[in-house]
Amino acid sequence: MARLPSALELKGRMLSATRIRVLDADPDAVAQQLQELNRQMPQAIKGMVAVLESEVALDLPRLLAQLRAAGIQPLAVTDGVLAASAVLAGLAVLPKDNRSRAEPLAPPAPAPVAAPRRATRVVSEPVRSGQQVYVEDGDLVVLSAVSPGAEVIADGCVHVYGPLRGRALAGARGDDSARVFARRFEAELVAIAGVYTVAEQIKSAKKGEATQVFLQHGKLVIEPLI
Amino acid sequence: MSKIIVTTSGKGGVGKTTTSASFSTGLAARGKKVAVIDFDVGLRNLDLIMGCERRVVFDFVNVLQGEANLRQALIRDKTYDNLHILAASQTRDKDALTLEGVEKVLNDLVAEGFEYIICDSPAGIEKGAHHAMYFADEALIVTNPEVSSVRDSDRVLGLLQAKTRNAERGIKVKEHLVLTRYNPERVEKGEMLSVKDVQDILAIPLLGIIPESPTVLTSSNSGTPVIADAKSEAGQAYADLVARFLGEDKPHRFMQVEKKGLFNKLFGN
Repeated sequence: MARLPSALELKGRMLSATRIRVLDADPDAVAQQLQELNRQMPQAIKGMVAVLESEVALDLPRLLAQLRAAGIQPLAVTDGVLAASAVLAGLAVLPKDNRSRAEPLAPPAPAPVAAPRRATRVVSEPVRSGQQVYVEDGDLVVLSAVSPGAEVIADGCVHVYGPLRGRALAGARGDDSARVFARRFEAELVAIAGVYTVAEQIKSAKKGEATQVFLQHGKLVIEPLI
Repeated sequence: MSKIIVTTSGKGGVGKTTTSASFSTGLAARGKKVAVIDFDVGLRNLDLIMGCERRVVFDFVNVLQGEANLRQALIRDKTYDNLHILAASQTRDKDALTLEGVEKVLNDLVAEGFEYIICDSPAGIEKGAHHAMYFADEALIVTNPEVSSVRDSDRVLGLLQAKTRNAERGIKVKEHLVLTRYNPERVEKGEMLSVKDVQDILAIPLLGIIPESPTVLTSSNSGTPVIADAKSEAGQAYADLVARFLGEDKPHRFMQVEKKGLFNKLFGN
């Protein structure tokens, strides 16, 4: 049998991971919050890749067990109090983020490499009352109607080509450049990066018109699409 | 080939059982072999509307628990020999049903050669409704022209395409809208949603519009499905609905306000 030229192939891959900072090491408080998160956004929690960070010493094996039970996949810790026990637990230890690196003296020229492509999800069936669609780290495109009582959520933008009558939340993990676009805007609630408004407060947009919603100086702007 | 059809709505009191009774009777009148099952364990009504309440010996739960066989529990309709009713139990609660048990009864009905098996769902979206819809190939979504009913129907449509056997196998459950208690005069006054409003929200094909009619109540009370009353508008509307279901091309009626002449004003109903 012919042998392959090499046993391993190395490829670079961008991976999006959620940083989890432990503020309170009390296992009960952690358990309670995990339960809450699991109730609020079960799809986001399931399979979430996480890097742990803590200033306080804690029982790492116990925390890992709690996170894994909730469906989170801890991958690594940042260097610090957790480093020693992380090595024992088989986790990677990543260097601490250097804050000053985030603001370099001279802005570097934009890298010629393309940014990692974010996944877009296209939903062609109607999103009915009681249903929730969440797109992690990408855009959501709904071709049909979003009914009252339904929720469409994306970490990126939300586009709705049928009537939008339910709730639309864009930039669910804080991206304030995300927008909501709807061909027939009759939303119950819209939110961008956590800034929200409800139907009763929406006056600027004419009901049923093509509309976009975005953040400007921290405020929601709802304006017709031309 | 047998077809399993669920009559469902989410909301109570919209006309599910009335629709199940008339739909199954209409299919039977056209020579089809039909079974209709009341899934509303503990609140059984179908037997009353079908007028067989005094002939119920064994019920659905008895069959599920092996206390009677299916043939003993099936009640033959008083008009059509090819129509059978399986009554719900009035004394048990909804926990008496299990998915495995329901599946076995449905399989047995298929084996008996029933062409259409109508599952009359209880209101709500809990266990009882789940059992009624789980094995369905098609669904009659009974909706009143009123916002809360439309929203509940929307919710049920979502469940149909997610929490049924067909959905789990990647097959779409075929949806039919049945708009009941429609009153064109109140629609015109803006007191009721119009057909267009409802269709705009639910976006599923319209199978029939049943006009609001006092005959529905009198038929229920007398234990005759309203479809048997060929003179009433509701009866005619159900007959049209059955024809459309079987592939006939019938225009929708009873959508406009009838212009009543003097004679009708004096003697019409």
